[in-house]
Amino acid sequence: MLLPATLEEAVTALDKESTEPANEQKTRILAGGQDLLPELKDHLAEPETVVNVKGVAELGTDVRRSGDGFEIGALATIAALARNADVPAVLSEAAASIASPQVRTLATVAGNLCQRPRCWYYRSEHTVCLKKGGDECFAYAGLNKYNAILGGGPSYIVHPSDLAPALVALDAEVVTDRRTIAIGDFFTLPSESDPTRENVLGPDEIIREVAFTVAPGWRSVYVKFKERESFDFALSAVALALRLDGDEIAEARLVLGGVAPTPWRCRSTEELLRGRKIDDALAHEAGEDALGGAEPLEFNGYKIPLTKALIAKALRKLS
Amino acid sequence: MSVQSGPQWKARSEMKVLNTDVPRVDGPAKVSGRAKYAHDIRLPGMLHARLLLCPHPAADVELLNVEPAKRIAGVVTAAELADRPDRTIFLGQPLAVVAAETPEAAEDGLRAIEVRYREGGWAVTPEQAAAEDAPRISRRQPNALTERETGNQGRTERALEGADATIDETYVVPVQHHCCLETHGMVVDFDGERARVWPSTQAVTGSRGEVAQALGIPADRVEIVCDYMGGGFGSKFSIGPEGLAACQLATELRRPIHLMLTRTDEFLMGGNRSGGRQRMRAGASLDGKLVALDAEVWRHGGIGRGSNPGQPYIYKAETDSMRIGSVRTNTDANRAMRAPGHPQASFAIESAMDELAYAIGMDPLDFRMRNLEDPVYHRQLNRVADEIGWYDHPNRETPGIPTGGTNVGIGFGVSTWGGGGRRVCVVTVRIDPDGSVTSSAGSQDLGTGVRTYVGSIVAEELGLAVSQVTGRVGHSEYGPANASGGSTTTASLAPAVKDAAHNARVAFSERLAEWLECGPGDVVFANGEVRSGTNERMKLTWSEACSILGSDPIVATGEWQSHLQTSGIHGAQAVKVEVDTETGGLRLVKMVCIQDCGLPLNRMALRSQINGGMIEAIGYGLFEERIIDPWLGVALNANFDDYKLPGSTEMPELVAIIDDDDERQQVIGMAEATIIPGQSAIANAVANACGVRIRSLPLTADKVLMGIQEKA
Repeated sequence: MLLPATLEEAVTALDKESTEPANEQKTRILAGGQDLLPELKDHLAEPETVVNVKGVAELGTDVRRSGDGFEIGALATIAALARNADVPAVLSEAAASIASPQVRTLATVAGNLCQRPRCWYYRSEHTVCLKKGGDECFAYAGLNKYNAILGGGPSYIVHPSDLAPALVALDAEVVTDRRTIAIGDFFTLPSESDPTRENVLGPDEIIREVAFTVAPGWRSVYVKFKERESFDFALSAVALALRLDGDEIAEARLVLGGVAPTPWRCRSTEELLRGRKIDDALAHEAGEDALGGAEPLEFNGYKIPLTKALIAKALRKLS
Repeated sequence: MSVQSGPQWKARSEMKVLNTDVPRVDGPAKVSGRAKYAHDIRLPGMLHARLLLCPHPAADVELLNVEPAKRIAGVVTAAELADRPDRTIFLGQPLAVVAAETPEAAEDGLRAIEVRYREGGWAVTPEQAAAEDAPRISRRQPNALTERETGNQGRTERALEGADATIDETYVVPVQHHCCLETHGMVVDFDGERARVWPSTQAVTGSRGEVAQALGIPADRVEIVCDYMGGGFGSKFSIGPEGLAACQLATELRRPIHLMLTRTDEFLMGGNRSGGRQRMRAGASLDGKLVALDAEVWRHGGIGRGSNPGQPYIYKAETDSMRIGSVRTNTDANRAMRAPGHPQASFAIESAMDELAYAIGMDPLDFRMRNLEDPVYHRQLNRVADEIGWYDHPNRETPGIPTGGTNVGIGFGVSTWGGGGRRVCVVTVRIDPDGSVTSSAGSQDLGTGVRTYVGSIVAEELGLAVSQVTGRVGHSEYGPANASGGSTTTASLAPAVKDAAHNARVAFSERLAEWLECGPGDVVFANGEVRSGTNERMKLTWSEACSILGSDPIVATGEWQSHLQTSGIHGAQAVKVEVDTETGGLRLVKMVCIQDCGLPLNRMALRSQINGGMIEAIGYGLFEERIIDPWLGVALNANFDDYKLPGSTEMPELVAIIDDDDERQQVIGMAEATIIPGQSAIANAVANACGVRIRSLPLTADKVLMGIQEKA
């Protein structure tokens, strides 16, 4: 394990030539360790070198107000975000919904965005699925209750992050050691790029911070449905941000979690919401529109009515 | 009461210690981490061992070469298990073992073992196993075998035809795991002559013999220590293949061996509660009689038989018939799990009773009482109905319909159990000249409070505070004791403790009579003093009385006394649930359990056991289910991420009621009964709330939501 003191040292320590499936990379970044350590214990990841970035000077641990927005250090903990009363509600609520108090105290914001999928076929040591460089997504024709209904194929994972949909709803940017990426461009669909990865980060690229601006008049909410409330990933989640003009929706950002391989932005539904008042009819229309393209697998059809219900709940909470 | 007569429990009104709230004496050690479990034992020179498990449901082991493991740094040895088969028959069957200086090196050693499997045909689901072309799982019998038939099916068919309302439904329960927080295993310290062993066990006495056999030494050279154990629930009666492997290593290496299963191993080979499928064809008359029941009961116990006591379980049908059997699969054998078979039977019959009640438009509480003969259940059901608010509830004869918002429902269930004891235990009570008192039993405390009553029964007898008597358990040198299973410990052990305490008191009375100038029968032990019952000025403090013993302590033993215990208990539970009819999400609001238990020894411990029973049923009802991919034969949730146990936020208000109308003056074990009906009551509450009947456990939101969608 290496303990670099600067971002440059950390980047240099990572293998930039890596072409292996993501879980087989020979160098891996360790921060809060809440995803990497379980991967190591389960032998999903067996890196030769672990680069511990906790001591890297440029990586902040703060949630800072900056001008009309916020800058969140890569090493800020989920707990810090969950208890921050200034950030938009969608973000603190998403943070508070994650895992357990113990995990939130150690897990970092950047780690949460980069965590690997929870699909049980991926997590089993005894399968080599598409996510691990194999030929087949076993979930597609397997036990897929927890898998994708939107954007699936050839892999049907759902992105496990709760912060991701919230940050998409805030139109955030991910700042790395070398570039700034609009969060909408950060996550990748398995059909559009290397299916063993979930984002555009290079093998030696390190997230430095996440930033977003907060325009006046916006309100937001995160509604997450967990099978087990005390500690779980989302079966489905809705991140909704609205700018209201009186009781009319002037602008909307609607992002789904737990249903697609990326946070799933519903642009047509956002258009549909614009200029409308929140009522039951609109909630119904929004749900129909957002899930219109859903293609359920054998065991996850329930996610369609569930997600529609969560959209309706989110709209009601902001009305 | 004369001291010459045999031991009798005091009247409840005279009790100072028993039938009160006594905090468990080992609570502080447990919550502070000072309590040492088998997992915590560390000995000089100790090695850590891990098992190699077959990753296929069934396979021929074509090659198994442990030599590469021995070349891993830190590995001391690697060996095939003494009785390892050439062909495995269940997913996770252990084959080899590695011992190393650290757990990590042992893991690395496992992964270095060269092994080649030829996967055979297998079946991991009952459907696969019952298919016509399924591979045979056992040579001795077909995969699906009806083992027993009861009643006259033809007569039941005719009775069903004459019924006013009938149902024909199938109820499915999954395989559940014990989820002991301390996994199975032991630490063995064997020098070639004698062994000291720390197993995590429900059977200290039984372990002694098993270990002696495994090590090839006489039992009197084996000492078993189990001061604390982190949960067994029926899965830890035997030392198992893991214990045999530890003994094999200890014999070879003569170094202390620490072999505890990993969590994944625990899920695969540590036992389970069998699943099952029960088809219930039942009929009722309009006046609320269960006129006919035909049950087809299939137990799913892996390579084991599974368990189910049969139908109509507690209820009485005018005509009934049943066929009961097992479907074998290539998964590990089920083991006893709290109230073996009863929760499974409960789910089918309690669901069917509810369905029939609504079919004839009758309050399901009334329908239950009409078909329960024992009046104790009537009393108990009324009590929980009152406590849960049934009589103010709107959906009493008809379930609610999904409102689009939150629906509230209430459901019920009943339980039964034996809880009697048998003659095994020998208990020793010792009173020393310095005033110290010990009560020693070679039993084990699974977390039920045994250590506390081993002391407190003696404290009651001698008029002392609980803190003045040291209860000692968990050691084979303390004398023979029964395995803790079937809620038999209290009724087997407590009478022997009482007998020993009584004998100690009689012996001490004889020594003190002369000092107190009274007959032995007139010596009174109360309030930390010993006095003459005929002259109240003649009294001694406890330490004065003990100092009279000089160098000759009182040592008395006690054995089981049948008349101090009995068996046969009843319980009833009610659940109130909120169903979010938009999402299918459930929130348990309140859960009530009343349980009779004869003479309560420790009310606090009893309520704790009742709460524990309800919580276990919540896990079974809402979350727990073993999942194995039927196409790949891979366990998908053999971990605490994906195998979901309920957490703190899932807990409703829990109301634990000790049924004080039960005036039997004998002790009975009762804990297991409290596990039986909770999940059934939850399912009934969901149906009562919104009319959605979920006939398979667990009641996850996806099932509830799809049920609501179908209704809409």
